[in-house]
Amino acid sequence: MATSAHAVTDTELRTEAADFGMWIFLTTETLFFGVLFFGYLISRIHFSAVFAAASRHTDLLLGTLNTGVLLTSSLTMAFAAANAESARKRPASRLLAATAVLGVAFLAIKAFEYYVDYAHHLVPGIDFAFAAPHAVGAAAFFWWYFAMTGTHALHLLIGIVIVLVMVYRLHRATRTDASLSLQITGLYWHFVDVMWIFLYPCLYLVART
Amino acid sequence: MRRAEARTYLIVWASLLALLGMSVGSAFIPLGKFNVVINLVIACAKALLVIIFFMHIRRSTPVTRFAAGIGLLWLALLAGLSMTDFLVRMF
Repeated sequence: MATSAHAVTDTELRTEAADFGMWIFLTTETLFFGVLFFGYLISRIHFSAVFAAASRHTDLLLGTLNTGVLLTSSLTMAFAAANAESARKRPASRLLAATAVLGVAFLAIKAFEYYVDYAHHLVPGIDFAFAAPHAVGAAAFFWWYFAMTGTHALHLLIGIVIVLVMVYRLHRATRTDASLSLQITGLYWHFVDVMWIFLYPCLYLVART
Repeated sequence: MRRAEARTYLIVWASLLALLGMSVGSAFIPLGKFNVVINLVIACAKALLVIIFFMHIRRSTPVTRFAAGIGLLWLALLAGLSMTDFLVRMF
């Protein structure tokens, strides 16, 4: 990065400021999600056996598939940003579109999962039913399941909107602007991916043996 | 973009999917408490791959890296201090 050996260019300064600002925002997001993870942890310590039983009612196949979809969307996002950096706008906007499509695919799979959960009476508050001795703990597990995946889905939805706005803006942006915008958008997108990386074992893999 | 960069991204992506496979596979091997440990170690490895190679944390300035890390410190403090209550409660 910039040292005293050479004058800091305007572009470098803008990039550093934007990068710094986005990481500060992501730090607050870490605390936001962190509170959910902490609440989950307390419930899990309290109802450890029930959490194991309740977790087996989540759909491992769809959850794993969705993890793969999201990890792949991070790859297309990284490629989009790298292409914008080399002033290759057309491939960059196609890769952005692919990223948005993968994000929508994730949400569609998640919505289908929610529907299956509803059909199996696993939504707390809406005709929830679980084997008698475990009902309270299982309701706690599914409350966290919906709160955490719901918060994540909302973040992803916002990410999709931002990515689509970037596709629209990319055509008219200068090379520097395009590169910087995609770099910052990428930070947000990858952050949402990282949150899912931790949600996945907490919700789907509590006890499968 | 450079070929080397594209290759790195693809290797990182393949590693992420391999780690995902490992976490699913290990979940079906009965290891008691070690299942949780393995799950968390794999999740941290995946997160680090994303943060280092996709979020380019090494390109950021030292002050930015500090800001990124401090969130985890605050979270550890909040959780740790809260635990001084929760862990001594008779549930």
